[in-house]
Amino acid sequence: MKNKIWKICCALVIIIGVLTLTPLVIPEGVHQPELMGMPYTLWMGIVVSLLLWVITYVGILVHPGKND
Amino acid sequence: MLQKLLIAGTIYVLIIIGLAMYSRKGERTSKNYLMAGSSIGSLIGMFTFAASLFSTFTLMGMPDFFRVHGVGAWIFLAFSDALMVFGVIWFGYYLRKSVKENNHEYLGMAGYMEKRFESKWVGYLMFFGVFIFLVPYVAIQIRGVSIFLNQAFPEALPLWAWAVGLVFVMLVYSELGGLKAIIYSDILQGALLLVVVWIIGVFCLRSFGGMEEMFNQVEAKNSALLSAPGPKGLFSLQFFIGSAMGIMLLPFTQPHISTRIMIMKDNKSLYRMALGLGFFAILVILPTAFIGMYGAVNYADLSPAEFLGKTLITDQPEMIAVLVTIGLIAAAISTSDSLLFALGGEMRSLLKGEDAEMLKWARVAIVVFGLVSLVFALLSNDQLVLLARTSFAGTSILAPLIFTGILSKNPAARKWLAIPTLLGLLIFIGSSLNVLPKSFVGVRAEIIIPIVLGVLALGANYVVKDK
Repeated sequence: MKNKIWKICCALVIIIGVLTLTPLVIPEGVHQPELMGMPYTLWMGIVVSLLLWVITYVGILVHPGKND
Repeated sequence: MLQKLLIAGTIYVLIIIGLAMYSRKGERTSKNYLMAGSSIGSLIGMFTFAASLFSTFTLMGMPDFFRVHGVGAWIFLAFSDALMVFGVIWFGYYLRKSVKENNHEYLGMAGYMEKRFESKWVGYLMFFGVFIFLVPYVAIQIRGVSIFLNQAFPEALPLWAWAVGLVFVMLVYSELGGLKAIIYSDILQGALLLVVVWIIGVFCLRSFGGMEEMFNQVEAKNSALLSAPGPKGLFSLQFFIGSAMGIMLLPFTQPHISTRIMIMKDNKSLYRMALGLGFFAILVILPTAFIGMYGAVNYADLSPAEFLGKTLITDQPEMIAVLVTIGLIAAAISTSDSLLFALGGEMRSLLKGEDAEMLKWARVAIVVFGLVSLVFALLSNDQLVLLARTSFAGTSILAPLIFTGILSKNPAARKWLAIPTLLGLLIFIGSSLNVLPKSFVGVRAEIIIPIVLGVLALGANYVVKDK
């Protein structure tokens, strides 16, 4: 089960990595909608970074080589 | 102010030299001197990794990058760093496992690749690759801070004297105490970096009266800063892909970072260190965005050195300005000494012979690398972030060869991969020097070269069968 979750983490990182480089996160010349005054690319970038951090956290809990 | 800086600077230098003297205890072997005994825990590991990674490039280059190119700078660095952190736990595990299974005493990636490929030429190629791209990286750290100090205290010392002083201090304490001394000072420097960048970041934010007002003023000044590709069109998709590739691969392609994967006492410490590093990265990069936006509104037309001089020194109370200056010097020193030391380690990993004698040669080499970097620092240009990015991208060309060495069951059967790798390095150097085109078939050199080499390496795994 842990191995499966680890593979899901790896897949999620790849998917999020690819999606971040699309207009979903970096639309050209667009800075709306804002969040707490922050332009879209900045706050979405922060959300993506935090999301990747959470996946990393889950990843270390289930990493197959954790106890090596 | 100069007097206060001299007092604080002297205290700081005495502390790090004291730490170096403290680190001298114990037997002086290559493993102790170059790899700190390979028994580092997660918290110390996080600070030394962070201090090596986040340098002048972060503290000075990133605010200027935000100021000139806008919020896309977050994707350039923070997003790429988040991917890199996951890569540390994903492939860091395989690197450590491979070294352990091959019963190898790791002192540098060049020596390990020499062993895996059973070819001294592969080892030399690795050394050539890291040397050619890391020396300029060390140089820009030294130059960045020297320019800043020269700008802030024009009557005190000429630029070259600041540069010589910095190189002298880092060589003295790293030669005295080895990697342990560097790690101890990294803890001090990492903490200082974090404190300083937040003090300035909060100052910049408060000067606007809050986040919303800050971005309103940025929009009024230059709305192109609020989205990609930025006012100068730098943040294209290819720029982001190339940057993410280069930064993601740093833990394996830049020896000062690979060393920090290998010196962790076990995998659990490595993973915890990586997690801490991920959070540290977000914490360090966020305030550089505030500093950059402050510069975009108040100092849009100034040179990078003038903007940083005003924001970090002139606009601050004297004590904060002194702390910032020490923080900047610390940031430059912590990355540069790690890089020089790692180059020494790479060289030692290729030398065969009695350990004490070979270690002596490696230490001589560290001094030589320091002097070469000093000369380069006095000659290079001031585009800190873009030069750093060239260093990241350049070393990423070595990645397919390194991953073949780590993951393949029989890398020796694929030693011919060294030839296209050398070709790739030469093409990238030619491209960086504008001798060759920047792009091939419409794709930037730093993207297409590692991809072609990666495809070759993958293909080699299927075509060349293991016996």
